Amino acid sequence: MDSMTLSRRAFLELCALAGLTPGLAAAADPPKKGGTLRVAFYIEAATMDPHLSGSKVDRQVYHNIYEPLVTLDAGLNIKPGLAESWQQPDPKTLVFKLRRGVKFHDGTDFDAAAAKFNFDRMKTEPKSIRKGEVANIDSVDVVDSHTIKVNLKKPDASLLATLTDRAGMMVSPKVVQERGAELGRNAKGAGTGPFEFVEWVKDDHLLIKRNEAYWNKQGGPYLDRIRYRPIPDDTVKLQSLQGGEIDVIDYVQPRDVAAVKADKNVVVLDVPSLADFAYQLNFARPPFNVKALRQALALSLDLEKIVRGVWLNVGVPANGPIPPTSWAYDKSISYIKRDLAKAKAKLAEGGQPNGFAFTLTTNNIPISVQEAEVIQAQLGEAGISMKIKLVDASTLISDGNAKNFEMISFQWSGRPDPDGNVYQFFKTTPGTSFNWSGISNPALDALLDRTREVSSQAERKKLFSDVTKILQDELPMVFIVHPVEPKAFSPKVQNYDPVPDGMMRFKDVWLK
Amino acid sequence: MLRRAARARLAPFGAAVLLTALLAALAAPLLAPHDPLAQDLGNTLARPSRAHPLGTDNVGRDLLSRVIWGTRVSLLAGFASVAIAALVGSLLGIVAGYSGGRTDGLVMRAMDAVLSFPPLVLALALGAVLGAGLTGVLVALGVVYTPTFARLMRGQVLTIKARDYVDAARALGAPGWRIAWHHVLPNAAAPIVVQASLSVAFAILAEASLSFLGLGIQPPAASWGSMINAGRGYLQQAPWIVFGPGAALFVTVVGLNFVGDAIRDALDPRLRADT
Amino acid sequence: MARLILRRLAATVPVLLLVTAGVFALLHLTPGDPVDAMMAESGDATAKASLRRELGLDRPLHEQYAAWMGRLLRGDLGHSIRNGEPVIENVSRRIRPSLQLALLAMLVSLLIAFPVGIVSAVRRNTAVDRAGTSFALFGICMPNFLLALLLIFLFGVTLRWLPISGYTDPLEDPLGGLRSLVLPAVTLGLALAAVITRTLRSSMLEALGEDYVRTARAKGLSEWRVIRGHVLKNAMIPVVTVLGLQLGTLIGGAVITEYVFALPGVGRLVVDAVFARDYPLVQGVILLIALGFILSNLLVDLLYGWIDPRIRYR
Repeated sequence: MDSMTLSRRAFLELCALAGLTPGLAAAADPPKKGGTLRVAFYIEAATMDPHLSGSKVDRQVYHNIYEPLVTLDAGLNIKPGLAESWQQPDPKTLVFKLRRGVKFHDGTDFDAAAAKFNFDRMKTEPKSIRKGEVANIDSVDVVDSHTIKVNLKKPDASLLATLTDRAGMMVSPKVVQERGAELGRNAKGAGTGPFEFVEWVKDDHLLIKRNEAYWNKQGGPYLDRIRYRPIPDDTVKLQSLQGGEIDVIDYVQPRDVAAVKADKNVVVLDVPSLADFAYQLNFARPPFNVKALRQALALSLDLEKIVRGVWLNVGVPANGPIPPTSWAYDKSISYIKRDLAKAKAKLAEGGQPNGFAFTLTTNNIPISVQEAEVIQAQLGEAGISMKIKLVDASTLISDGNAKNFEMISFQWSGRPDPDGNVYQFFKTTPGTSFNWSGISNPALDALLDRTREVSSQAERKKLFSDVTKILQDELPMVFIVHPVEPKAFSPKVQNYDPVPDGMMRFKDVWLK
Repeated sequence: MLRRAARARLAPFGAAVLLTALLAALAAPLLAPHDPLAQDLGNTLARPSRAHPLGTDNVGRDLLSRVIWGTRVSLLAGFASVAIAALVGSLLGIVAGYSGGRTDGLVMRAMDAVLSFPPLVLALALGAVLGAGLTGVLVALGVVYTPTFARLMRGQVLTIKARDYVDAARALGAPGWRIAWHHVLPNAAAPIVVQASLSVAFAILAEASLSFLGLGIQPPAASWGSMINAGRGYLQQAPWIVFGPGAALFVTVVGLNFVGDAIRDALDPRLRADT
Repeated sequence: MARLILRRLAATVPVLLLVTAGVFALLHLTPGDPVDAMMAESGDATAKASLRRELGLDRPLHEQYAAWMGRLLRGDLGHSIRNGEPVIENVSRRIRPSLQLALLAMLVSLLIAFPVGIVSAVRRNTAVDRAGTSFALFGICMPNFLLALLLIFLFGVTLRWLPISGYTDPLEDPLGGLRSLVLPAVTLGLALAAVITRTLRSSMLEALGEDYVRTARAKGLSEWRVIRGHVLKNAMIPVVTVLGLQLGTLIGGAVITEYVFALPGVGRLVVDAVFARDYPLVQGVILLIALGFILSNLLVDLLYGWIDPRIRYR
């Protein structure tokens, strides 16, 4: 495989650029074993079965009890996980050498047969939610006890990145066979990770403990246990941290960041994310079936003001779908700057010299509402009048899938490989897909297919830059912000190393 | 004497509050010092000052102006939904209580069905079906409150029906609707008025709860409830966001209650005679 | 009496039918579907289609309803789509905190409302009455979530007397459980106390004006005996109505309180399920809430008869 171009140092520079501090500095003291880490998320997990999981928060737990074949580091480089190494003899074949001596928590061996079992289950289990992610895998062959050969239907440069998450996580075949659906709520013995599942009292807490027999003897796990709790209200969650009832929270709202940073009882860590927050524009409906009007809209927005005023600079203006954390980010491409004169010209070009009216469909969450109000005011100055329709998340998805919108909020949490932020949104797709705008552009399609076939990262980066430029011209989406996801900790928590995918891996964390 | 004086002070106060609120609602464009929608991202969450007596919100809008404009929405949400509910509910209650038998059973079972939904969920689902916006909320809240009035009215009718003067009227051969109109309605009105005056307050608060769940007034317009909701995330940094609409809400509801009391005293002849 | 109860129980069947059909229709009229909600982060149409087929969501609506009804008649409420567990398990897990919270809130409200309401009515238009009425007003005018946040801010963050959020079962840890439920119970109970105080006061005033009270007074009974023996009992009808109505509301409708205090109750369950379009869960929970509500109404009606023997059912 091609070596990754963005080193950890480059990532640190990037963070410094954005005014961010990576990692909780490890204290001078040596790591200490013991203690229970109390973690709060806004919602509890839905299931403990990674193959049936559709909820983002599930992954937060999985990354401590299960392990994927390959993992990510802070620079989004792909690192060995349960696979020691991998090779690509031809574009449609991936050969993984699996780590020896790894045991599932139930004592069974992790080997090639187990890996094949997992892939087969993801592909054939009727309720599997991983089907799409592994759709390009035609079959998996066991070469020897610790080697598998993955046969692809077509070349796919983004597959490895996909295998850093749920699609690459290995579950004990014995547990699956013996426990069946029960695995959903009881993952005892199911993983290979640094922590093992203890109990899950639904709506109350989920408890995991240190895996004493963890294969990797370097560093942690140090913590005795990790206790996850759901706290749905942001304010209460934050207050629980400030009041000492909780040690870690996964997210601090931008509005609270300044106040929390001033609090000596809390340590805030700005973690740049993979996300892009944008609005899709409907190509099939007036007014945005007219390209000039899409451009007029984009030219009327003042992203810098939105990011400062709404996001309080907890994020950066977006020039496209690829976040600054990615190796594919092209910082030479500026985000679209406000230019009201040009917007006026575009309005005239689009046949609406006096402006036009349309409706924005957006999420009913405070920051989305605030952003919509600011956008509304900015567009008003350009003579474009926007109505706001607030909907819940399910309605938003349904309106998007049915193309029942003019402009609709789209907040994508992002994927480690740029492909996950790009392909499915802009590739011509008949039927339902995330290409809600309905863009169908042959030149763009060709480029997108190329990004999957080419395996050189430098070449892919160039292709993604070309894609970004086309997107800025065609505007199936107006991109707003790449948010930063601040996480907050009690000062006791040591040695947390963030990865931009937002998943909190606690292997090396310890408590002072 | 003393009592009369006390009420004499409270009722005008309530009336004054209500009139002020109505005036604010009607004359909002004249009274508001600023455009309620004018943003100033350089001056968000500003403390109360001479320029902005109640401070500014999270996009720098003048809160006083928004509170004044919000009066419209909040009053409309409160009064219209309760009016719908009181009218429909009382009617159903009278029909059920007075007719008894199968009609009673049918109406009250239907009310039971509506009541047995958790109100927020019912309003949420109705609102989602009717589409976001104020109309959806008015209808949803109207439906939610209807059974309360129906049950209350029916309970009153059952009690009153058993009273001697109704029996007497019936014995004298008065027709059913006449008894209902002359004897049942006046006697049942007092608790309905009390309930209505309380319900308006609840409806205004319920509108706030619905805003919290994604229904209700659509931005950038605001009701007091939606302003409190928007401000609740800033309780630590900028509590004044909540203070303005909270105070407006509080005072208006207090006024509503005084007026409700006064109306009640006026409606109930026995209580008046007693004082 | 027994026949009345039986008849009323039989009458709940059409109500419940009405409720289930209503929920089903409302849910399916609401935009969105459970698979999209569950796989919000996946654009994979094939996987979604196969999951829909697996869950039977691709079948015509009347078939889905019939299938659900068929299972219901066999006593099976189905499984939640989001977490795959039986609906009944989801509910039984959540009902306990909800019931405890409701009872505690009622206790709080009655402890406040009875003394305040009675004294206000008896000492009408005095300073005591005004204080009582003002309190009732305060309780009514205070938005639930605002009160909750203020209580948390005061007792949880500033004074640190009570936990900010979370739930401990009082049956397992009485002290910890009570501590975890105090703030939410006060939040809910205060508003309820206000309603009951007002209702009690106004219905007592009404009763105080009745002829039989004058008669009783004329007979020379002490004022307290008049109130206890004649006024209070007659003033109870509206109070019982309100209480009966509120019990159902408290169990299924304490959504915002449950949210803010992170209490795993039924209200949150059902609203989360609506947002996730978890059809079987919403249908099942609402059906159960409706059942509980109807039973509590039946109780209210029976109490009517006991309090005021003049009310008779034909």
